Amino acid sequence: MSISPREIGSDLVSIRRTTHSPGITLVVAGAMIGVLTGAPWIFPASFVTVLMNFFILVSMATMWNLMAGYAGMVSIGQQAFVGLGGYATLYFALKGMSPYVAIPFSALTCALIAIPVTYLLFRLRGGYFSIATWVVADTAGIIIGTIALFGGGTGRPVPGFTNFSPTQITNFAYLSCWFVALVVIAGTYLLLRSRLGLVLSSVRDNEISARSSGVKVTSARRTVFIIAAAGCGAAGAVLAIAQPYVQVSNEFNIQWAAEMLFVSMIGGLGTVEGPIIGCVIFFALQQSLQSYGAWYLIIFGSLAVTIAIWQPRGLWGAFRDKFHIELLPVGYWTRSKKQ
Amino acid sequence: MSLLQLEGVSKKFGQVVVGEQITFQLEEARAIGIVGPNGAGKTSLFGIISGDIRPDAGTIHFEGNDLLKLNSAQRARAGIGRTYQVPRPFEHMTVFENALVAAQQGARLRSQHSYDLAYDSLERTGLSEFANQPAGSLTLLHRKRLELSRALATSPRVLLLDEIAGGLTDLEVNELTAIIRQLQSDGIAIVWIEHVVRALLNTVDRLICLAAGKIVADGDPQEVLSSAAVRELYLGGKVVGESVQ
Repeated sequence: MSISPREIGSDLVSIRRTTHSPGITLVVAGAMIGVLTGAPWIFPASFVTVLMNFFILVSMATMWNLMAGYAGMVSIGQQAFVGLGGYATLYFALKGMSPYVAIPFSALTCALIAIPVTYLLFRLRGGYFSIATWVVADTAGIIIGTIALFGGGTGRPVPGFTNFSPTQITNFAYLSCWFVALVVIAGTYLLLRSRLGLVLSSVRDNEISARSSGVKVTSARRTVFIIAAAGCGAAGAVLAIAQPYVQVSNEFNIQWAAEMLFVSMIGGLGTVEGPIIGCVIFFALQQSLQSYGAWYLIIFGSLAVTIAIWQPRGLWGAFRDKFHIELLPVGYWTRSKKQ
Repeated sequence: MSLLQLEGVSKKFGQVVVGEQITFQLEEARAIGIVGPNGAGKTSLFGIISGDIRPDAGTIHFEGNDLLKLNSAQRARAGIGRTYQVPRPFEHMTVFENALVAAQQGARLRSQHSYDLAYDSLERTGLSEFANQPAGSLTLLHRKRLELSRALATSPRVLLLDEIAGGLTDLEVNELTAIIRQLQSDGIAIVWIEHVVRALLNTVDRLICLAAGKIVADGDPQEVLSSAAVRELYLGGKVVGESVQ
């Protein structure tokens, strides 16, 4: 390492990592975690089902946003890892493992599969990269659909629930979805507060400058791609547990990528809170507009176009820029110690 | 041993020659200015040294090590800092975070050491009061200073400055040259591409003039500027005695 010829004084500056007292965030987060963990015993079953789907999408969208919003990799093929995660859970369950225990192993399987995939995809840039991710997802779906053990194209139910009552199955499925979402959000937040988080933001803003600042761009991107594959794999695993049935046309459906993109974009790309806010809006609209048939898709599309044109930083991004409030701050605020 | 040594470096893009047998050495804490008309290959030369462009031929050694074996990130970590002609800030990050990336990745420092180096690099260029502002909100002068701060935060031994005074007022140019002279006296070797020749003359020990990828003059700044080859290049026509025809 080269040494700066000038002596740098120690403790020139003090750093804060929050814009407000972290106590408020911790109290609110603690209360929310308590309520959401007890949701199956607090809320009606229909609402618990909505929450379950909400957490699955939050997990997927948080991973998609990590890739696109922080590392500049716009994937339209993340359903590949959703599907592979679901089928990995099926495989482990068929081999006698509890589907709940299989969740981390399914995530790990997706991470391992993602490693060689990066060597193929990272040869491409921009739109070509995006299309290639879709090709990877479709290819994975086609290959899985030919395997007899997995029931071919029609799929098969996930075994391993015979010892549980229907209520227990629903409650455990909910808790699986919720804990995966919690781990994904907390993990993403901690990652973005780390040195890697700073690196990812620099790569997103200007890859060439990042390289000349000493950033190993490809290595950072590869790390994020693998983490996002693991996160989407875990989401696929809980999707398989929630159904509990896996089918290629459902698990590898491009609809997942469209929803990840939509909620991240309307919530706020490049913010931890964005995909969560986007999911809240998505599910609120879906629940209130689903009786309007095709109109609800038209309203969704119009909303996405409107936000893309007038609020390209998303609703949370615009709110944050205006009021300088971050619920989950990842930045650095300085104060000179000379003053 | 020279700090930076280029030997026979050549590069072509199709039929366009941006470097032809470029050879020069840079000693520690010295400053070289590079002038030349547009398209002479000045910025491409920086790209070759910093690792953005791979040369077709030639060798580059830094502190005796083969630089061509390293990619641009590794060169930054080895001690080659550079700025870009058109500033390339990390727009959605704060000014401090811009410098912090370089301190943590380029200089490979952690925690308080990285914060101190990043903040010191902002203080050196007069940007510390903007530390918490988004880099995208900076003016051109401040963006150019941020380029310099970020390069400094990599803890460089050699600093490549690409038209850092371009587009600035006379007063701003004076402020910038004072900063660069201070960096040189701190021991950082400098290679400076600049069209604002007055800024160069106040700073560099040696001047190189490039044209069509070739070095056409190299030596004392005043002698290079008054050489027939350089005057012909800038004023056109042939130089006969002291007049241009």
